[in-house]
Amino acid sequence: MIIGELWRLTPGGEQETLHTSKFQIVTNNPMVAEALGERCHIVFLEHGSDRDVIETVRDLVHRHHRVLTAPLAGSVKPWETPYRSVMVSVSKGTAIDATSLELVEFALMVIGQSRERLETTKPSIDRDFQTVDLSLIESALPSVEAIGRI
Amino acid sequence: MKLEVGYIDIKGIRFGDYNAVEDGILIVNPEPLLEPVLEDPLIKSAHFEIATPGESIRITPVKDVIEPRVKVEGGGGVFPGMVSKVDTVGSGKTHVLRGMAVVTAGPIVGFQEGIIDMTGIGADYTPFSKLHNLVLVMEPVEDFKQHEYEAAARLAGLRTAAAIGELARELVPDETVVYETPTIAETFKEEWKDLPRVGYVMMLQSQGLLHDTYVYGVDAKRTLSTLISATEVMDGAIVSGNCVSACDKNTTYHHQNNPVIHDLLAVHGKKINFVGTIITNENVYLDDKIRSSDWTSKMARYLSLDAAIITQEGFGNPDTDLIMNCTKLEKQGIKTVIITDEYAGQDGKSQSLADADELANAVVTGGNANEVVVLPPLDRVIGTLDYVDTVAGGHAGSLRPDGSIEAELQIITGSTNEMGFNRMSAR
Amino acid sequence: MSKFKVVHYINQFFGQVGGEEMAHIPAEKREGPVGPGLAFTKNFGDDAEIVATIVCGDSWFNENLELATETVLDMVKEESPDLFIAGPAFNAGRYGVACGTICDAVQTELGIPVLTGMYVENPGADMFRTKVLIVSTADSAAGMRRAVPAMAKLALKLVKGERIGASVEEGYIPDGVRRNFFDKKRGSTRALEMLLKKIAGEPFETEYPMPTFDRVPPMPAITDMTKATIAIVTSGGIVPKGNPDRIESSSASKYGSYNIEGVDDLTSETYETAHGGHDPVYANEDADRVIPVDVLRQYEKEGKIGKLHDWFYSTVGNGTAVASSKKYAAEIAEKLISYDVDAVVLTST
Repeated sequence: MIIGELWRLTPGGEQETLHTSKFQIVTNNPMVAEALGERCHIVFLEHGSDRDVIETVRDLVHRHHRVLTAPLAGSVKPWETPYRSVMVSVSKGTAIDATSLELVEFALMVIGQSRERLETTKPSIDRDFQTVDLSLIESALPSVEAIGRI
Repeated sequence: MKLEVGYIDIKGIRFGDYNAVEDGILIVNPEPLLEPVLEDPLIKSAHFEIATPGESIRITPVKDVIEPRVKVEGGGGVFPGMVSKVDTVGSGKTHVLRGMAVVTAGPIVGFQEGIIDMTGIGADYTPFSKLHNLVLVMEPVEDFKQHEYEAAARLAGLRTAAAIGELARELVPDETVVYETPTIAETFKEEWKDLPRVGYVMMLQSQGLLHDTYVYGVDAKRTLSTLISATEVMDGAIVSGNCVSACDKNTTYHHQNNPVIHDLLAVHGKKINFVGTIITNENVYLDDKIRSSDWTSKMARYLSLDAAIITQEGFGNPDTDLIMNCTKLEKQGIKTVIITDEYAGQDGKSQSLADADELANAVVTGGNANEVVVLPPLDRVIGTLDYVDTVAGGHAGSLRPDGSIEAELQIITGSTNEMGFNRMSAR
Repeated sequence: MSKFKVVHYINQFFGQVGGEEMAHIPAEKREGPVGPGLAFTKNFGDDAEIVATIVCGDSWFNENLELATETVLDMVKEESPDLFIAGPAFNAGRYGVACGTICDAVQTELGIPVLTGMYVENPGADMFRTKVLIVSTADSAAGMRRAVPAMAKLALKLVKGERIGASVEEGYIPDGVRRNFFDKKRGSTRALEMLLKKIAGEPFETEYPMPTFDRVPPMPAITDMTKATIAIVTSGGIVPKGNPDRIESSSASKYGSYNIEGVDDLTSETYETAHGGHDPVYANEDADRVIPVDVLRQYEKEGKIGKLHDWFYSTVGNGTAVASSKKYAAEIAEKLISYDVDAVVLTST
């Protein structure tokens, strides 16, 4: 893994720019961190929960960043997969983006009302969850990279 | 477009040493059908099994359900862009083996979903328990890439269905129905001018691995919202690559037999003027969602629609696309009814959708996918129960020692379908 | 097999004691069925019987809510019934509230199934629909003939522990629990029929009512804050020390208006919170933490805002009914308008 190039939020929630990319990905999925670490900023919450991911995204939204992908992408249920990846703008707007805020709050509601996660005992399943999560976020890359700015 | 569909009723399937349909019985000689399937280097093994309605059989994990059809007259072949060349379909004559399906089964990922019970309470929840099913059970080679294997398994099912459909080419149908869709100019003809102009907005799952739909072979996530003829859909222009959320994914069979299309065509020219079908995707990227729903509402206006039915596919964030499509139409004065399903928790008390808007005031629901059901042990399993504990709706301990399964309805293929395929609802 | 034992609750009118003039009578227990209870008995057949009927005046119950609940509860307990039924109350508001209240109490305290019936617009329906099952009835006693069989059927299912179907099947007012059922037609056909009604402008019933959000369109922005009068309104329960208006710590029945002319800072000696729903330590230490009087006063002095309004308005949000909050808000809004307040800082806890 390319730890040196990954992003981590400081306890204060601050971060530094290592990449010139216009988007960043908040994720708890090591496969996403590894596969996309050279293409954009990764806010990697190692061992973080899906809630940690969405809450981190929410904090960024509070700082006027915009959510670029559906926070609960895919049909794999929150009580099944432990992995979440969300793309967020690097640039900040002048105010909170209402749509982004609504999306993360709805996502937190869905996570909040879903029951305890299934135990995934098999490492192969864990890897499959990572693979699907990676694929979901990758599906947004052609769209985000097709335009010059966000 | 005008399509004559000849239905040949299938009353049974049996194995034999040749492939044919005789007196409503499909006779299957596996070897020549499996040959092209096994040519794919990613498919380690494949075999057929037969499941008849009422038999004590559980099929799992189900990938896709496909109705065998063949184009007898008119351009193109079934599943254009996938199995046949990409030529335009939807005209001429098509034969259908009605009452049966090719079901693809076998693992792709470790949380593979989908159960079809052929008897018992589980059978009540899936439409596919009423069909004679030819199940193609496949296993991947080791160390496969999921993207590639999903494509291989998808193609294997479609090819097999096409090959079986081919057996119906020369048969005399039990019933023939003519479906006709008008051009835009025709929709303005005098005798229909007092009928409300109604459209159908069909949302297609398009988010990534195991979440994709293909239209004439193109991945729906790379498309803009567009128009398609109802008859093209009947010829297999839309196929499913969606393997997640068994209860509310639209299998290829659902597309081939889209109930909204059939219900709208049935009253077309009488109660409504069915102007056209708009297909639109459900992408991960938010600007795609906005663009696609904008485009849907633009097309609805180009068609001068008065009203539309909108159907959804999948769990969670497609609710956002659904609400966008709905509100953007309503804000233009186009009256909508949406068809969705619910995730209201096992106790039915949670909020059902991941998005909401008061303009969505006419909702049809396929039911609460979290409702718990106990499926009795059945005598025979086609596929494997290895995945039951990890599939959606199953939970730790869901597979009981006696072989019964305590799980949520979302484990059952097609149970809360969002095209309105079933009678199930919720209040 | 022995019959299930049922206790039935009715008001003075259905107990044949009298009309409004007798609404003051306290609860009394009679043996066996009375009034509508006879119709229930017929519908129960061999499965269940009404062993006792409690007759109670609507005014007495509503004016002595705690005592009445306790009294009736004791009467029910003595019979150790398997099932408790109240009403139907149709559109009688106080009767409906009494039925809901006592059903809720019996269900909670005795752990037996309960059932009542009322018209959908009865205030009792709105208050209790998510707590107890309420069969939907007509708005007057003329609907008794249809209400009783529906209630009896559902009551027997409850007492036998059978699965309860969806509200449309069983005839109860939607209770907030989503239940699946098999409709007569497939979803696409239902959608088409709904669409045709919607197009024709006819009434139609959605299968899933969207959760309603009370959205308020924002007012246009204030262009010059230096001239604006700013007021403070809070549901955080900040009151002058000693809580002069006795605002309740929960389910507040009132709000207070408090003058802060010349007050630059709220201190632990002068202000406190009446709120019972959070740890009051930090609010009591410094009430500015809940309503920023100190900062706004400073802004006023610096000229950043025109003026801090002379009064602040406070209630306790803890469990206070939405309807009450709306009433307080409407009154407060009128006052704010009469004082030409331009903007309000709303705080909650």
